[in-house]
Amino acid sequence: MTRLTRREFLRTSGTGAGLGLLAAAGVAGCAPAIKGDFAPKAGRRVVVIGGGWGGATAAKYVRLADPSIEVVLLEPNQQFVSCPFSNLVLSGVRSIDSLTFGYGGLRSHDVKVYHAAASAIEPDTRRVRVGEGYLEYDRLIVSPGVEFQWEQVDGLAEAQDRVLHAWKAGRQTVQLARQLEAMPDGGVFVLTVPPVAYRCPPGPYERACQVAWYLKTRKPKSKLVVLDANQNVVSKAALFRAAWKDYPNLEYRASNKVVKVDPSTREVTTDFGDRVKYDVVNLIPPQRAGTIAVQADLVGADKRWCEVDHVTYESVKHKNVHVVGDSTIGLPVPKSGNIANAMGKICAVAVVHLLNGKEVPSMAPGNTCYSWVNDREAIAVVNAYKIEGGKVVQIEQKLTPSQSAEWAQHADGWARSIWQDILA
Amino acid sequence: MRTTIRLVASSLSLGVVLVAGVAAAGPLDGPGAAKALACSACHGPGGQSPSNTMPIIAGIAPWYFKKAIEDYAAGRRPSPEMEPYAKYVIQAGVDDLAAYFTGQARQPTAMRPDDAAIERGRAASKQCAICHGESGRGDAAKGSPDLRGQPPGYLRHQMLLFKADRRNPADETLKALKALMKTVPDDQIGDLAAYYSSLR
Repeated sequence: MTRLTRREFLRTSGTGAGLGLLAAAGVAGCAPAIKGDFAPKAGRRVVVIGGGWGGATAAKYVRLADPSIEVVLLEPNQQFVSCPFSNLVLSGVRSIDSLTFGYGGLRSHDVKVYHAAASAIEPDTRRVRVGEGYLEYDRLIVSPGVEFQWEQVDGLAEAQDRVLHAWKAGRQTVQLARQLEAMPDGGVFVLTVPPVAYRCPPGPYERACQVAWYLKTRKPKSKLVVLDANQNVVSKAALFRAAWKDYPNLEYRASNKVVKVDPSTREVTTDFGDRVKYDVVNLIPPQRAGTIAVQADLVGADKRWCEVDHVTYESVKHKNVHVVGDSTIGLPVPKSGNIANAMGKICAVAVVHLLNGKEVPSMAPGNTCYSWVNDREAIAVVNAYKIEGGKVVQIEQKLTPSQSAEWAQHADGWARSIWQDILA
Repeated sequence: MRTTIRLVASSLSLGVVLVAGVAAAGPLDGPGAAKALACSACHGPGGQSPSNTMPIIAGIAPWYFKKAIEDYAAGRRPSPEMEPYAKYVIQAGVDDLAAYFTGQARQPTAMRPDDAAIERGRAASKQCAICHGESGRGDAAKGSPDLRGQPPGYLRHQMLLFKADRRNPADETLKALKALMKTVPDDQIGDLAAYYSSLR
């Protein structure tokens, strides 16, 4: 982490007029007046939309693979907050600061980080709209993450400020931790799990462990009720169920899809009409690809997820537009941070090969995914894949035999390493 | 520079090839580099692990890389993390990946154990030197890997796995090593890890 922190201060001091403008805007946190082609393209350029696990990785690795290609990253947030490990903020085991990093490391690779949101994609003219202006690209990498389907739960859209998801690490993670801390002993914490597909399949169950551990140690008369829209624990089921034996305060109800929330009476309603009272609720809403992907018609007939080529990550709907990370569908991979990072690297190399007129190497992603079951022990699942007939195929999945401090140490090592792989 | 590339590229087809070749001569070229992208999430860019847990595989001897991959893939060296990835490496081409990592310059770990532990480890290292050499450089003929500069957490963990017979459990060639490790108290294992980690 030392390396990341140090690099935060090594701000690039503007290399060329248009680029300096972007870098300065990023540092100052206020966008210049954007009109027309606000950073005219001089050579070949890749624009990346979204600076999360997939996009930030892709931006860095395009620069590593071919430094003659200009890379512009559009990311509205000033800082990167890691979703993996953020459940530990709820239990107080980790601070949000320990999961928060700047984009200085990417700038040191000459990625032009611009803290603004893309408002539209124009594949025909190869332009990305930003406010009243636009940027031209040769190839575009879209890593928009997920957006919530608020309309799927009655009363949720109006109650977004009180009914928290904390499913994008940051402000809501801290707010939910405060709600948990402020809950009286003897209270009921309700955690709802959305139907698949959603970001981070084991995430809700790791969160259940962290909340249950916190309640067991700090508020022993309290209870956690997990209402799962799915028929069973979606990931690492046997390992989570074994971990839950330590948590008699945890009540797990499968096939309980929450369809309504009412903050005035503090209750949620399931699709069977059951009402469950809560003192604190954490409602993780159903999800789809980030809004820009839907607006740009990158999603399939389900209007939720983006189908891509398994080797190049080019959208099946628009040429020269690639999609990586949680918003993709069709590959036999989970929506995990490790997969997004792997997709970012593979896509970056593919894009560079395509821009250089070379044959794209066939590379498969890998998945390493740890879940913390208390303050010092973790479990893991690992998936290896190969490319067969142009498609990603799983070679093998392995789980840890049990929970242990050993896997927790590995989890720490993984996090330290992959955060640098993305950002340093 | 970019303008020049574009002008040359658009006027001469030969220029396209040459310029593209020059432009793409990045650190990710070569058959092993692209395949190794799956490894950097845990082992760091080019195999230069930044953590205390994951070993540095930059500059690894090819024989040891291949043995480790084969042992992991066959389940001889049990690891829920490395068994699937080892199968990926074999699928992708173990020789390409070995060549790639062997070709990466190794930097010693950034982890700094305390000096007292290093000195205690040095004093306790006489028997280790029989196979790993006075320098800790290892010996391919004896199947002993280079230990220098590895993260101390990784070295300590591996010694504890040997001691508990959890690494390559049925391997006859490791019997003497495991018998030796059983005689070493856990504290001293930490000291040995500190010492070998400090060697350059």
